[in-house]
Amino acid sequence: MTLFTFRIQGCVPGAVQAVKVQLDPSQANVLKMHRLRVVSGHLSPQNRLGPYSHAQIARSECSASLPVAADDIVVVHGLRTAIGKAKRGSFKDTTPDELLSAVMSAVLRDVGLSPDKLGDVCVGNVLQPGAGALMVRVAQFLSGFPDSVPIYTVNRMCSSGLQALFNVAGGIRNGSYDLGLACGVESMSLRSVGNPGDVSSRLMDNAKARDCLIPMGITSENVAERFGISREKQDAFALSSQQKASKAQERGVFQQEITPLTTRFVDEDGKERTIVVSKDDGIRPGTTVEGLAKLKPAFKPDGSTTAGNSSQVSDGAAAVLLGRRSMVEALNLPVMGVLRACAVVGVPPDLMGIGPAYAIPAALRKSGLSVADVDVFEINEAFASQAAYCVEKLGIPMEKVNPNGGAIALGHPLGCTGARQVVTLLNELKRRGKRAYGVVSMCIGTGMGAAAVFEYPGN
Amino acid sequence: MKTFRCPSRHGYAAEISPFLPSRLACAASQHYGIAGCGTLLVLDQDEGGIKLIRSFDWNDGLFDVTWSENNEHVLVTGAGDGSVQVWDTANPRGPLQVLKEHTQEVYSVDWSQVRGEALLLSGSWDHTVKLWDLERPQSLCTFRGHEGVVYSTVWSPHVTSCFASASGDGTLRVWDVKMGVSRLVIPAHNAEILSCDWCKYDQNVLVTGAVDCGLRVWDLRSTRQPVAELLGHSYAIRRLKFSPFHRTLLASCSYDFTVRIWDFSRPEPLLETLEHHTEFVCGLDFNLHIPNQVVDCAWDETVKVYIPASLADLQPCAD
Repeated sequence: MTLFTFRIQGCVPGAVQAVKVQLDPSQANVLKMHRLRVVSGHLSPQNRLGPYSHAQIARSECSASLPVAADDIVVVHGLRTAIGKAKRGSFKDTTPDELLSAVMSAVLRDVGLSPDKLGDVCVGNVLQPGAGALMVRVAQFLSGFPDSVPIYTVNRMCSSGLQALFNVAGGIRNGSYDLGLACGVESMSLRSVGNPGDVSSRLMDNAKARDCLIPMGITSENVAERFGISREKQDAFALSSQQKASKAQERGVFQQEITPLTTRFVDEDGKERTIVVSKDDGIRPGTTVEGLAKLKPAFKPDGSTTAGNSSQVSDGAAAVLLGRRSMVEALNLPVMGVLRACAVVGVPPDLMGIGPAYAIPAALRKSGLSVADVDVFEINEAFASQAAYCVEKLGIPMEKVNPNGGAIALGHPLGCTGARQVVTLLNELKRRGKRAYGVVSMCIGTGMGAAAVFEYPGN
Repeated sequence: MKTFRCPSRHGYAAEISPFLPSRLACAASQHYGIAGCGTLLVLDQDEGGIKLIRSFDWNDGLFDVTWSENNEHVLVTGAGDGSVQVWDTANPRGPLQVLKEHTQEVYSVDWSQVRGEALLLSGSWDHTVKLWDLERPQSLCTFRGHEGVVYSTVWSPHVTSCFASASGDGTLRVWDVKMGVSRLVIPAHNAEILSCDWCKYDQNVLVTGAVDCGLRVWDLRSTRQPVAELLGHSYAIRRLKFSPFHRTLLASCSYDFTVRIWDFSRPEPLLETLEHHTEFVCGLDFNLHIPNQVVDCAWDETVKVYIPASLADLQPCAD
């Protein structure tokens, strides 16, 4: 028997009901969450009219600790490689299958799970031909996974690593399998953004279609201009990202989420040597406001987006092991987090950076939570302009945003980022120790946003 | 005070038989109605206390119960799976009939007080109210209009074919069954309304109880403001009933664990606060046969029968 405790909390001090329900796991599927929500609504004096339409009810459900259900999608473990600067950094000579293999095998090794237990592996990738469908199968064999385990790739650009997690969660939810590995990998040293592929010449007659060709940096300028995000504000956001990341690195915060990788490195005079990479190399502790202010606009002469307030071009990989709670418990695996909701939404292509401002509310709505209920937001810093805009638009207190820095300091290996953010988020919540909610979100080229809500169950 | 314990069953509704003064029914649910099954308890009270006559299980929570007005053995429950069950206390095997049309929880059922008819109302979280003739397998009519969950549906004791409904959309509606439309829509509270009831002595008077902790008494001839507002509960009012014996007397039960007795004609309307439960009190009824006797049930796994001290010396209303 498993004991579930629902805490139905009203707003009148001193009156708190804890409802303890004993169920065996097979019954947990039939928990009527909407009933708990309706009753919680009755207890909240702020609740007005209609149990499903108000944020306040969500609040009371949040303080109503969400019940543990056997078919929850849980995160068992996650790791990432260090993130290297593209073309100059630690992984400039490392192929993506090597990056990927390092995290795939380390995640399973850490929890002692045999790879033949995996129902599927999904890898987010953007720049490899065909999103690296062959490359990932190579990575699987380099990792010693048996050929019986299937693998595939997904490309939803900057959200690919998170989309891989959504795909695996979907596979578990639809009953195809109980355990799956969601990964993301990108080598921006070996491949660059460029060729849009074969598209119709008619795209020039269609404004939205044409906007899909706008360079990302210009979409950042569009957001900055349209919503009045000044250069100063962008630089301040960038500085804060660098400072948080360097402080985190100094404190060894990233050690628990990075798996070291031994790789080949060709130095300036052409000599090849073997190095062990366990530190992000994009973080610049010496960043100053003055230094950032001196940088020239990178995308248009009178613009405000610079190399200093944009994400870095990087190499890296991350992997997250997901499972159905019943199976995870049966195998005695740990639960690092619970996936509570996911959402992907579309926004205008020329303002693609605003994606999180729409995706986050969509995911929160599905989870029945509000911004105030969430302790940590990992919002990808494609550009300081769009990240700052989304944070302001949603009214998120800055101290909740990317507490260990973001892509401006760490780098943004496109296909890897979503999975990397999940790893960073859950490790941060784990460090804090208490039961809490966290959100991962990013904007997506050609105009989309993705977001996921996780619950950390507490120590 | 008489107490009946129903271990691991959490009370949602308690109703006294219109035929037998000692007979009562309680609709209860496992796991506070959030998971698991439901149980209908048929109970008898005597000097010694309350004893179980029969119990019926259903696969989902049971949230309301109403007695038949034309057969002393028959009662009807509303369930979490959207179904309505017709039970016969003489038939231990299971429901005589299951009516399944609602798509969400049925939170209220009420049997028409017109003798000879077998008309039943059911109100659901699917925002609709349905009218059933138990002679027929399908509902006679579906009443749409509420923009929220329907929590309460009650036949008028005076006007045949008229009933009232209370909803999470904050409105009290009065419906004409013959016309199939709502004659009156009263934005009675700026909050979810969980319960309503008709005065037994005045066909125009109704009371509503809401999540805003207030009870409001309404006169249908002038609905711009309530006749009275009764404040005192510290949490949402879950159910309320007018006394069958006094024009201005009513009882309410609440998420604040209390049952309160009110006389809205008095300047100090709160007569009594009963604090004999240790959980949400959800079910409440007056006994039609024993003046001033009240039954209630709560999530603390008890059904209680008692005469509130404030009513002990009260004589039944002359008219």
